[in-house]
Amino acid sequence: MIFTIFKKELKDTLRDRRTLMMMLVIPMLIFPVIMNVFVSVSASFQEEAATKKIKIGIVGAPNNFLQTELNAIPASFGNKEVILYKDTLSMLADLKIDSLQLGAYVKSDFNLYLDSMKPAPLTFYFNATDMGMQERAEGYMKIIEEKAIQKRYLKLGVNQEKVKPIETTYKNIASDKEMVGKLAGGILPYIFIAFGFIGCMYPAIDLFTGEKERGTIETLLTTPVARWQILFGKMGVVVLSGLVAASCALLGLFLSIEVLDVVDNKEILNIIHSILSPSFIILLYSLLIPLTVFFAGVMIPIAVYAKSFKEAQSIITPLNIVMVLPAMVGFFPGVELNLVTACIPVVNIVLATKELITGTLDFSLVALSFSVMFVLATLAVFVSYKRFDKETNVVM
Amino acid sequence: MIEVINLSKEFVLNRQQRKELNTLEKTALAVDNISFKCEPGRVFSLLGPNGAGKTTTLRMLSTIFKPTSGTIKIAGIDAVSNSQEARKKIGFLTGSTGLYARLTPNELIQYFADLYGVSKKDLEERKERLYTLLDMKEFQNKRIGKLSTGMKQKVSICRTMIHDPEVVVFDEPTSGLDVITAENIIKLILDCKQQGKTVIFSSHIMSEVDLLCDDLAIIHKGKLLFSGTMSTFKENMKAENLTAEFIRIVHESQNA
Repeated sequence: MIFTIFKKELKDTLRDRRTLMMMLVIPMLIFPVIMNVFVSVSASFQEEAATKKIKIGIVGAPNNFLQTELNAIPASFGNKEVILYKDTLSMLADLKIDSLQLGAYVKSDFNLYLDSMKPAPLTFYFNATDMGMQERAEGYMKIIEEKAIQKRYLKLGVNQEKVKPIETTYKNIASDKEMVGKLAGGILPYIFIAFGFIGCMYPAIDLFTGEKERGTIETLLTTPVARWQILFGKMGVVVLSGLVAASCALLGLFLSIEVLDVVDNKEILNIIHSILSPSFIILLYSLLIPLTVFFAGVMIPIAVYAKSFKEAQSIITPLNIVMVLPAMVGFFPGVELNLVTACIPVVNIVLATKELITGTLDFSLVALSFSVMFVLATLAVFVSYKRFDKETNVVM
Repeated sequence: MIEVINLSKEFVLNRQQRKELNTLEKTALAVDNISFKCEPGRVFSLLGPNGAGKTTTLRMLSTIFKPTSGTIKIAGIDAVSNSQEARKKIGFLTGSTGLYARLTPNELIQYFADLYGVSKKDLEERKERLYTLLDMKEFQNKRIGKLSTGMKQKVSICRTMIHDPEVVVFDEPTSGLDVITAENIIKLILDCKQQGKTVIFSSHIMSEVDLLCDDLAIIHKGKLLFSGTMSTFKENMKAENLTAEFIRIVHESQNA
């Protein structure tokens, strides 16, 4: 009987355009669209930044050290034009109207400071709303300062090695896979949780509140099928919808990487391929199934209680934030799966998935996370059953 | 056969319901200790004004609601303790029943036949008979959402009768229907009677009651005001017609 109900509800769900949109179309398209837009926008910005010729104004004596050295920096560090100003006021006015991107003020005896081995004061002006200009100035100054230091070493006749007492080397022992996992591993469970929740939402409302609203539940309850069987048949479709929506989102992400070539770095591509192994996918789903059941179990009592589609939607939508917000924990690099975090629902799944990606998995903690979610899912199913069994909730 | 003995139903009121009903009481007695019997091959009508407790009674008979106290026997089966078995014997149709708009009549009938455990052979036979009787063949594969009200009503009838129930419960089955569509229901009730089924229906349309019922009960504020045969009711009438008599009985109970 459960399967009969499941089959019918699935057919009904697959014929609902709204659910199909939320379950298949949007999750499938969202990443190709977003990533395509993101990549093309960032590429055009990078191109613009690389080819953009910036104007640097200098107030100071003609042929001062800064001007000479700025002009000497090759165009490969960015196209630029150096303009000498007579006063700071006119330079700042130009900077304000963006006909100048950087402005520098050096005293007229700037070169004298350098020659007399004193620190030469220099002020750079920039507009922080014009992104990247401070970094550009810092980049130029690193080159110029290095040259000035070399000059002083030469003048003082000092061996550079003698004034550098320690030669430090920093070596990263983490594998690339671990790096990607720790830094970007939170994205994968986040996608699954966010879309899993949305995927569950519409079928849950449609199959419970909708049936109440349309007046079909009464007839169903007069059939010789136990209420728990009706609940399980419907719940099966809600869980499946959540998993399908999440899988579609992942598929969309995978297609963006593989078909649309949004990742052009071969090393990262290889890491992604090595992460997406069949064993990883099996383990991932074994963690996500209890989570989706938990979502369904949380939504169903609300859907059963609500009198209209609108009422159910107005309660479940804010719940989305409560459920999905903990998933963002995965984006914080410092948070690890331990005995405490393994007991926090949603957070444990995110962190366990991250560990799965990095390959630094502690099976006892993953088992604990799974057990916590399993217990919660069972509890949520029990609450759903209690609600569904309450006659005044089911019939209007 | 339906046997109802000392049936009561009490609902617990939440704060909002208490506010809506303007009462401080924590419970509301929807059905108050009623008893009646519906015989096979006879049509029993449950009469009462809005909010009298008709729908609650019929929902208890069809096992959607559990009674607070009392006994219900459907074709000899205790519907309270063995509700699942009793449901196999019941066909339930209400005027407000919706249908799954995204399914076709064929899919819907198949679904309910599966839920009732109807064999393939029986299903095909009954489908053929009902589709011919109700002239449903033309739209059997169209989505229900695209059908007219009359067509939908035919699908509802077919759905109610597909498991060949011994007892048929109709809750205001013609409410909101035009006379042509309502006629399908009238025909169905008469057909059920002819087949020896037990039929109970609630209504407040006196012409329908006069036309169809053999026995009747009048219910008001959950209490049974009259229960007997239609002929006894007519014999003892103090008003000039059925409607006036019904109103008189209800008013009399209010003033008592």
